[in-house]
Formats: sequence, structure tokens, C-alpha cells
Amino acid sequence: MTSTIEHSTVSAPALGGGIYRRLNFGTALIAGVVFAVIAWWIAHSLLDSDGRGFSDQVMVITAVGWVVGFELGIGAFTSIGKWFTGRDQTHADEMYLAGKDAGQARYWRFTTDHKVVGVQYIVVTMILLGAGGLLAMGIRTNLLSPGNHFVNQQIYNSFLSVHGMLMILALIVAVAGPWANFVVPIMVGARDMAFPRLNALSLWTLVAAIPLLLGSLAVGGNDMGWVTQAPISNQSGVGFDLFAMAIITFTVSTTVAGVNTICTVLTMRTKGMTLERLPIFVWASSIAAALGLYAFPFFLVVMSLNISDRMNGTSFFIASEGGTGWLQENLFWLMGHPEVYVILLPAVGALLEITTVFARKPLFSYRTSIAGMAGLAGLSVLVWAHHMFTTGWAPALGGPFMVTTEMISIPTGIIFLVLLGTLWRGNIWMRLPMYWVFGFISNFIVGGITGIYLSDIPVDNQMHGTMFVVAHFHYVFVGSVLFGAIGALCFWYPKVTGRFLDERMGKISFWLVFIGTNVTFLAMFVSGLRGMPRRYSSYSSIFEHTNAVSTIGAYVIMAGMLVLLGAVISSWNKGEPSGPNPWGSKTLEWLVPTPVPLENFEVLPVITEDPYTYGEARTNS
Amino acid sequence: MTSEKTTTSRAIVTIGILWVLLTAAGVLVSIYATPWLMPESASNTMHMGILTMIIFSVAAAPVAALVYAVVLYALAKWRYTGEGIPPDGPSLRANSPLTMVWIIGSTALTLFLLVWGLSLLASDNSGQGGANEMTVNVTGQQWLWSFQYPSTASTQNGTPVSVSNEDLYLPVNTPIKFNVTSKDVDHGFWIVQMGIKINAIPDTITTTEVTPNKLGDYDIRCTEICGLNHSYMTTKVHVLTEKAFSNWLAAQPKHF
Repeated sequence: MTSTIEHSTVSAPALGGGIYRRLNFGTALIAGVVFAVIAWWIAHSLLDSDGRGFSDQVMVITAVGWVVGFELGIGAFTSIGKWFTGRDQTHADEMYLAGKDAGQARYWRFTTDHKVVGVQYIVVTMILLGAGGLLAMGIRTNLLSPGNHFVNQQIYNSFLSVHGMLMILALIVAVAGPWANFVVPIMVGARDMAFPRLNALSLWTLVAAIPLLLGSLAVGGNDMGWVTQAPISNQSGVGFDLFAMAIITFTVSTTVAGVNTICTVLTMRTKGMTLERLPIFVWASSIAAALGLYAFPFFLVVMSLNISDRMNGTSFFIASEGGTGWLQENLFWLMGHPEVYVILLPAVGALLEITTVFARKPLFSYRTSIAGMAGLAGLSVLVWAHHMFTTGWAPALGGPFMVTTEMISIPTGIIFLVLLGTLWRGNIWMRLPMYWVFGFISNFIVGGITGIYLSDIPVDNQMHGTMFVVAHFHYVFVGSVLFGAIGALCFWYPKVTGRFLDERMGKISFWLVFIGTNVTFLAMFVSGLRGMPRRYSSYSSIFEHTNAVSTIGAYVIMAGMLVLLGAVISSWNKGEPSGPNPWGSKTLEWLVPTPVPLENFEVLPVITEDPYTYGEARTNS
Repeated sequence: MTSEKTTTSRAIVTIGILWVLLTAAGVLVSIYATPWLMPESASNTMHMGILTMIIFSVAAAPVAALVYAVVLYALAKWRYTGEGIPPDGPSLRANSPLTMVWIIGSTALTLFLLVWGLSLLASDNSGQGGANEMTVNVTGQQWLWSFQYPSTASTQNGTPVSVSNEDLYLPVNTPIKFNVTSKDVDHGFWIVQMGIKINAIPDTITTTEVTPNKLGDYDIRCTEICGLNHSYMTTKVHVLTEKAFSNWLAAQPKHF
């Protein structure tokens, strides 16, 4: 059975096909605000204004109103609404939803085409990174010199919380959002994701979460850091309620997206695309998505219980009333450590893909690399309490958690083996994406090794809660994951736009970000080794020089990111044309035309070998 | 075929030399830079912590050096300088012996780190719990520390001595057990030069132990974000001789 769509029979959908064809980002914003105001008014009228947690109740209900209004306004529920009222989607409706012939407008509305969703994710990621980056600049400026008060302590602490969470959200979606959407369906030979409408839903749910997170700054902030540790999170103002509602909304988005990725890979592969012929990026994205399905429910639960303590008078995390803050920490880190690998694995997968193409070599040890990534994912669910070595919780479990944590270095070593083995005797083509691969290798070895110190309890007793930890995870998140995300962007940019990302600006940006990252976070290691705790707004003069260096380095990173942003924008329409397969890659996404047509393939391909046949004399491709 | 073998063996020899040089540099930096970068040590716990940092760095040096050696060699020698898409490289899909050696090597290294860390963890408290152990109660609150010392029959007539918003005084070479709690939110009780840290949690008592082994003044810093003045929640530790400590304790006013 073939399922080729006959494009010619579908005319451009005319406006007037019902109100839902007029819905877009603008109507979503309006509906969101209107619903939020209505929800606020209802909460104020009906609830007991003298009751415990009244302001939290109002804030949470308002946030729910915003999200529901936004989803209705974007048209997320119109299809299911029609189905409930007994009307099926017509073919024209489906084509409208997929954004057929809609031009630029399809990027501003609920569009199901996975390539549109991918591009929307690129923009959302850049917004998240930009907002989080500005807050980072605020933090670093405040730390430029001892006793510097660029912002007051309340704002500083709020900046810490929101910077941390914005960046975590940004990195969770930085590779998986754009590329598991844009590239994975084509890589497996599918016409779209398994659930196109859920795909659009996950994107717009993420968009709905961002104003809540930023809004928490506007309503007084929250001064507990991104880990939202109880009881400080209970002491925080209503800013915390918006913060937590943003995360609850976000977990819905990632769960929907994760299910979609896994179902697409499991059920939508074209003929001959066996699991052993899947590109490694598909494996990486799927493993990360599966791990996310395990991790993010804890995120939802920990935030819900925390809100409940504030607004309903429960006491899950309140020690004086029978709960315990240790429960909060356990739940948070049950999410928090797997989440690191949800973030890391897609970046690693993208970099491995880039390495094979630019070294002109097959992926070294394909099966071992899958085992390595699966090993990372498997172990990562067993290590969460290494974040709690100094909290006093279950000292007897320190040893076992130290064992599981240090074992993670074995699968991490496999990732390095695969990278180096793929580079070995290759003909390395130093185009822009490859720069970020080498940057990643250099930074990830630093981030990885410094993690081993922290896994050792006697050392962690000294280092926990210091700038050493901050520098360690920034080497992983900035030095490794962000490098992977930018490498992926440079690599797949020609497929999205039909043009190269400006090579010269890209290389300038690489050197600025690479040097900035190492200057900032090497100096931060020294601050931590010398004894500077994290989350300090002001510090002793003994940390003066290293902090000044970190701040300057942070500005250099910012400059590099601005150059990159400039390159992304200027190359979008004016870059050098690339053609459909500029890198000579063998994965399917490069074998379809650019721009990729709706439904991707004229005829679904039949796969006879994996995409890593570099240096092998074969006729079939 | 022979030329391919020669290039490979030349690569291996060059990378090997680079590896040895980088490892040597890494080992030297580990041994000399680590203690220089870290605070001075005022307890055996801290001493062992610094030693562990050095040993782990020495163990990590060859790993990092190998990665950098291969990467630098690849950048120098395997870089394609022609125009356009380079020709394919050799089809090296796997190398089982190398993979086995790599996995066994990294496992052995991990086991070494684990054995070191676990035995250190087991021996960490061996000097503690003796008859001469002194208990100090530590209470954190936004944003100061207070300390309560045991009663000593000769000086205090059974009344513990409490000191609020003041420095901590400890006798040298005496095992100390800290019972730590908080009045409001979580705080982190960290004696920087003694390598101990434990959270102060409301309605909960957590404990940590250390034996100061050096006279002098050291730092306490809060390591859990606790609100506005988190960065100012610092105080000093003064380690005194046992006699000076008894005199200091006797001079303290009693609190009820």
C-alpha cells in the first residue's frame, strides 16, 4: 500500500473555513490574557481571602487560566473539539493544519508539519537561551567585584532561580526540540511524526510556559535557586507559584514530545530501516526521550506537592508538620540527574553524526556506542542521591551512590572512544560544524573528570555547594551540550534554509564562545577550590581576581553568541546557497530536496544498509 | 598496504610521545597546583580531601592526555586541505580488542577510584566517638550561626554555654561532634579549612564530626541558599589549645 499524497488535488485552503482557521499566536496571547483575568477574577470572588495560602491559590488558578486560554487561542483543541461534536477532520483541514501553501504564516500558528515545528523550536530555544543569557550577564556583572550591588539581593536570588531554570528548559529542548522534530522523521523515512497534532501541542505548551517563568520575576521573584529546595521555597513569594506552574506546564510539553519521538521511531520507520540501520542521532534522541518519560513526572510531582503545601495547607515538605524537606530533594533529584542525560544524549548523538560525515568515516563501534548511551541512561536513574551527600539524608547510602556515580565514567569513556575512533585516520573536513565537535571534546573531558571528584564523598564534603560544582556543570551544559546544540544548528542549517550558515561569522563565534567558556569556568573552578560558595551575591576579597576573570569571560561568551545570532539571521535569506546535500552525508534527510517538501518523500525509500558506508565500495545508496 | 601500516604506526608512535608528555605535564600540575589552589588544611579530613584531589587528578591525567593527544594529532595530520567534500576515509567500523582494552581500562581506573574513596569513607570517622569527644550544638537561622557548648562540671555547674552570632571556638586535637539544626530554612554548615559540611535543617538534627589539628582562625560559610543575606552568613572558627579553650569557656556568661 502506498500512501503518497496527491499534492495537485489539494487547493490552498481559503479563509472562512471556520473560526479555527483564523487562530494564531496573536489570538493565543489574547485568549491567554483574557482567560487569566477571568480566572483571577473568579478566584478572587469565590475564595476566602483570609484563608491560608489565598494569594498562592489565586496565582495558581490565574496561571491555569493563562495556559488553558493560550492553548484554546492557538487552536490546540479544535480538532478534538470537532471530533467530540461528531465532525471528522476533512482532508482539507489536515492540509491546512500541516501548513500547506501557507508561507510564513504557518510559523505563527498551530502547524503540524514536523519541519515547521522544528523551526519553531529553533526560535523558542534561542529566546530561552537569550533570556537566560541576559540573566547570566546580570549575575556575572553583580559578581564583577566584591560587594558590587548591580542588583539587590532579592533580585539577584531571583535571577539565579530563573536563569537556572530557563537554561535547563533551553537545553532540554535545544537539540531534541529542533532536530528530533525536523530531522528524525526524515532520518527514519517517515512522512511526519507519529502524532503530528501532539507535536504542535508540545511546542505551544512550551511557549505557554515561558511567560509564566519570566512572569515569576515580575511578581516578586523567588529566592530559592532553581532546585526549589523546601522550606525556602515555602518562604518565597507568589513568584514561586508561577515558577512551579511554568515547570508543570513544561513537563506536559516534554512528555508529549517524548512519547511522540519514541512512537515515531518505533512505528514509522520505512521499509528496511531496521533498528541496526538507524542513524545514531535517532538512537540518541529515542534514548533521551525514554529517559525523559521516566524523569519528568518527578518534576511534575515535586512542583505540585510544593504548590500544594503552599496553597492547600498540606505538609509534604514541612518538617514541623510531619513532612520533610528531604522528600523534596529526593523527588527533585530523581528528576534532576536523569535530566542531565536527557539534555546530553541528543547533543552527543548530533555530534557523532557530524563526526562521521566530516571525518568521512563510518561511526566507530556503532553497537558499542548505543550500549554506551543506554548505559548512561540506565545508570543515570540510580545516582540521584549524589546531590544529597551533605544534606544528612541516609548517610549509609553514601557508599552505594558513590559506586553508581563513578560507574558512569565507563559509558562516558565509550562516548570518547567512539568519537576518537571515528576521527582516527579520517579525512577531517574542518567546516563549521566540526569546530564545535572539537570544542565539545575538549570541554567535555574537563566537565567529565571534574564530576569524578564530586562523586567522591570526602571531596564532595569540601566541594559541594561551591563554585567548583557550578563550574563543573557549566562545563557540561555550556561547554558540551551548548556546543553540541550549536554544532547541530550549523550542520542542519543548510537543510532547513537551503543556505550555509555564514562560515566566517560562525568561526568568529566559535572562538569567542570557546575561549569565553574556558576563561569563565576555569576561573570559576579556582574560585570554588579556594572556598567560594555558590549563590553568593557578595564575596570576600580573596575571590576578587578569579571572579573578575569569570565575568570578563562571560561577556566574551555573550559576544560570541550575539555573533552567532547575527549569522543565523543574516544567512537565513542571504547565505550562500547549499543545495540539498552540501556535506555529502548519507542519512536520509540529506537525500530529499531542500526545502523539504510537505510529507518529505515523493516515494518512501527502501533501506538496504546503514548510512555509514564511507570507504566501502558499494553501488547502492 | 605497507604504506598504510607505516602511517598508522607513525601516528601511534607520535601520539604515544605526545601522550607521555601531556601526562607528565598533567601529573606535575596535579601535584603542585592542587594544594596551592585549595585552602590550608586544619584537620586530617581536609588533608585527606586534598590528597584525594591530587590522586584523582594524577589518575585522570593520562585519560585527558590521551584524548588531547589524539585530537591534536588528528587536527595536525588528518585534516583535509583540498577543495570540496573530502574523499572517504578507511572503513574502520570496529576494533573489538581496542574496545575491550578501553572498557577494561576505564573500569579498572574506576575501581581504583572507588576502592580509594570507599576506604577513605570508612576510615573517616575512625578517630571519632571516643571518650574525649566534645559535642557542639550548631543552630543556623537567617542569617547567623549560634553555638552551644557542653556543660563542664568545673566551670558551668551543669549549664550549657550558648553563644549567638559569635565566632566558634574549638580546642585543638579534640574530636568534635556537631549536632546541627536550623530555626527557619535550610542552611549549609561548612568549615572551609576542615573539609566538613552538613545541612542545617529545621526540626531535624544532622551530625558531622571533625578533629581540628592546627591552631589558627578559619572560616565558616553557609552553602545552602537561605534568602537575602545568604552571602553574609559567615563567621570564624578559632582553634585554641585545650587550656586556652577551657579558659575561654569558663569566661563565657551563662545563658538559660
